[in-house]
Amino acid sequence: MSNRPPIGQRLKEFEEREVERILGACTRCGKCYEVCPMAQYSKAPSSDSKAVVGGVLAVLRGEAGTPEALGWIGVCTRSGVCVPACPENVNPKMMMRLARMTALGGRGQPAQLPVKEDPDYFDRVRAFAKLQLTDDELKEWT
Amino acid sequence: MSEPVTFWYGCNVLRHGDIIHACLDILHALGYEPSPVGGVDYCCGTVKDANQTAAAGMATRTVGKLNQRGAPVVVWCPSCHSHMHEFMGRTNEQRFDMTYLVELLHAKRDQLRPLLVHDMPMRVFLHQHVGFNDLVPVNRMVPELLGLIPGVEVLEATYTAPGYMCASFAPLPKALEDIHNNTVHAAKAGGADAVVTIFHQCYRELVGLDAAGAIPVYNYIHLLARSMGLPYRDEYKEWKRAGEGAGELIGAERIAKVGVQFYERAVLPELKKRPNLR
Repeated sequence: MSNRPPIGQRLKEFEEREVERILGACTRCGKCYEVCPMAQYSKAPSSDSKAVVGGVLAVLRGEAGTPEALGWIGVCTRSGVCVPACPENVNPKMMMRLARMTALGGRGQPAQLPVKEDPDYFDRVRAFAKLQLTDDELKEWT
Repeated sequence: MSEPVTFWYGCNVLRHGDIIHACLDILHALGYEPSPVGGVDYCCGTVKDANQTAAAGMATRTVGKLNQRGAPVVVWCPSCHSHMHEFMGRTNEQRFDMTYLVELLHAKRDQLRPLLVHDMPMRVFLHQHVGFNDLVPVNRMVPELLGLIPGVEVLEATYTAPGYMCASFAPLPKALEDIHNNTVHAAKAGGADAVVTIFHQCYRELVGLDAAGAIPVYNYIHLLARSMGLPYRDEYKEWKRAGEGAGELIGAERIAKVGVQFYERAVLPELKKRPNLR
């Protein structure tokens, strides 16, 4: 028997460590928001970048996010231009991914953003596999 | 002696069997023995941000299966590659080396060059995103690969889209519309004959531009394969161009495999979808 914790536990612990690191390192300077090419598409764009980042950190702490923070979290598509812009090596791309997981309720907290999962997502993958691969390829490759 | 590798192609590229088959032939031609795996049973779990318990289970299953195969892994999908770097490989015992396909092809470009024998006279505009390049500098490497093809001229990249690939913009229609329009305008302003995508997730979205008659669209693998003389048909593009009439091309026998109702509800709307061009 392995003494290793269940894998779900390892992911949870990894994410908790990352959240703790980010909360400790971020100085709320707002540079990540200022350089983000997606901020313009937020439902609640803001000129106060420091406040938006503060709202993202609140989400990571399990608190309610501001509309501006949730608006930004909702449009993050992992451009990653925030990473070199950060003077504290926070890795804002990871910060935003964890905030997104948290805001969607994926890490156990109440959801603050609507979950828009496509119910046909995996069945559509299976369908295209059947349309594109032979029966033997389906059996051996998938 | 061929080197065994696992070719982990991902999930959604299963729309493009021609891309998967061409990648396998290219890997064979470069001296590898690729064993392809993908689909739902090999999903990385990156789509499960709203359910980290499910994401963890999927990641653990997939890393375990790739471990069992005992060969280096060549990755096609940028989402799988990113997720392995950022989450899966940091929370599971990853016992395999991993390379992104573009990196491998770029490293083997001296072997690839003599295989590209057919002229492809074409001025192409590369559709690129700002993201993912921190992991693999695809915006530099793919133009260098395309430049190996006789006749291909890669135009200056005058537009770089946000994000790392187009499919993640599905819930953000205004942003996706901007990407479509900016891509077409930049390509036409440069005198491009075609737009070329790096990722299948972008190809799936941008091939709608081709279907709408705006500009021809290819994935970079399509051009490498054509220059090598590989014969695969891009059926997804044919179906997309046919739109409502795609069923006639697919045929009743194949549609029956997925079910007529599912085809009409979940497949056909994607094939009929067209971009909003301004």
